[in-house]
Amino acid sequence: MNPREAESNCEHREDAAAYVLGALEHDEHERFREHLTGCALCRAEVGELQPVVDELPASVLHASAPKEMRERILATVRSEAELLGAAGIGADRPAKAARPWYRRNDFALGVAAAASAGLAALVAVLIAVGGSSHTKVVPGEGLGTARTAKVSLTRRDGHSELVVRRMPQPALGRIYEVWLKRGTGEPKPTNALFSVTNHGSGAVDVPNLHGIREVLVTSEPAGGSLHPTTEPVIRVALGTA
Amino acid sequence: MPLLRRSSVNSKEKLRKLADEELMERVADCDADAFEVVLERHADAAFSLAYRICGRRSVAEDIAQESFLALWRSGERYDRARGSVRTWTLGIVHNRAIDALRRSGTHDRRRASDEGIEETLEASERTEDQAVENAVSSEIRGALGELPSDQRKVIELAYFGGFTHTEIASMLDTPVGTVKGRMRLGLQKLRSQLQGWQAVGG
Repeated sequence: MNPREAESNCEHREDAAAYVLGALEHDEHERFREHLTGCALCRAEVGELQPVVDELPASVLHASAPKEMRERILATVRSEAELLGAAGIGADRPAKAARPWYRRNDFALGVAAAASAGLAALVAVLIAVGGSSHTKVVPGEGLGTARTAKVSLTRRDGHSELVVRRMPQPALGRIYEVWLKRGTGEPKPTNALFSVTNHGSGAVDVPNLHGIREVLVTSEPAGGSLHPTTEPVIRVALGTA
Repeated sequence: MPLLRRSSVNSKEKLRKLADEELMERVADCDADAFEVVLERHADAAFSLAYRICGRRSVAEDIAQESFLALWRSGERYDRARGSVRTWTLGIVHNRAIDALRRSGTHDRRRASDEGIEETLEASERTEDQAVENAVSSEIRGALGELPSDQRKVIELAYFGGFTHTEIASMLDTPVGTVKGRMRLGLQKLRSQLQGWQAVGG
């Protein structure tokens, strides 16, 4: 095949329709996406077909979204807006590192220290959201390198999600890991690992919080750790969960 | 305390006059009122799509709810150059609904691709008047209906059922290449129809 023929034909062109329909196998999908970066023909094909697929939702007869669903969404959004919009949570907290932070006896007193700094309302109070009896949004605080982060923990029907904004990205080869702490004991690792976008946004599902007093986040090597290797960058105090 | 909350009726009315893209700029700044307007505009479409794919009201509610919360939390990532807010939102809903469908097993997936919304909605939940008013919606349904059945089938199995082309090929006992070809032909015909309407309308 000469270059001109190659320009007007591509063996992967048939994949474009399956690609825009989401019907390629996972590895095929990734390969085709890479292929697109170097094939103008396939890019053009995708560019023609994608708008068609984007219109397919319009083929569905409309049903009214339940009012209760809208109310639940707005209740969560309003609570998060208030918490994430609040400025200066936990900023400039001094840190000492004589012992691992999770072994320090005074760690659990962090909430009281914050209260003395005038931050009690944001750190220690559980805020129940109006409109849904099962949804709570708990404010958290950014610490250390993440002290400007906005943090909230949304709890609904036994499901919890940690949401962050303005969070610095973890260093190369590292990832954020969620820890759960009961009483004064050492925090337990979880499989909740996350990173954040270029804009500092991120969200991660948090495991069952029954009996948990604090949710913590540290920066760990990729894959996570069994014991924290750095100081927490996020803390959410739950009080009595 | 609510620094970014704008709750007056006047501000809400002003927000309703803004384009989706302008609203999303405010959503990126944690403006819950702007988000409420986005929700007003697209909640029905999102719920309808989730319902069409999953076929169960409670599941559709969960998917639509989680999709809108994802939209809220990732609002600052919205890039108007990559499509409309509606397309972006429904893309999130579609991905989540297909994920849920794939977890639910083949039977539900087959149902999702076989049935129209008429079969999945209770009569009392239909708001057909809205659909009738939406010329684009009915035209696209019509265009889908006019496709040769083998082309429509593979598109519906893929888009509403979440099946891959190899699964569809196996299901229909048809070569993979044929399935891909039908997908392409079907989408190209739909595209021609869409362009025809745009030419007429515009």
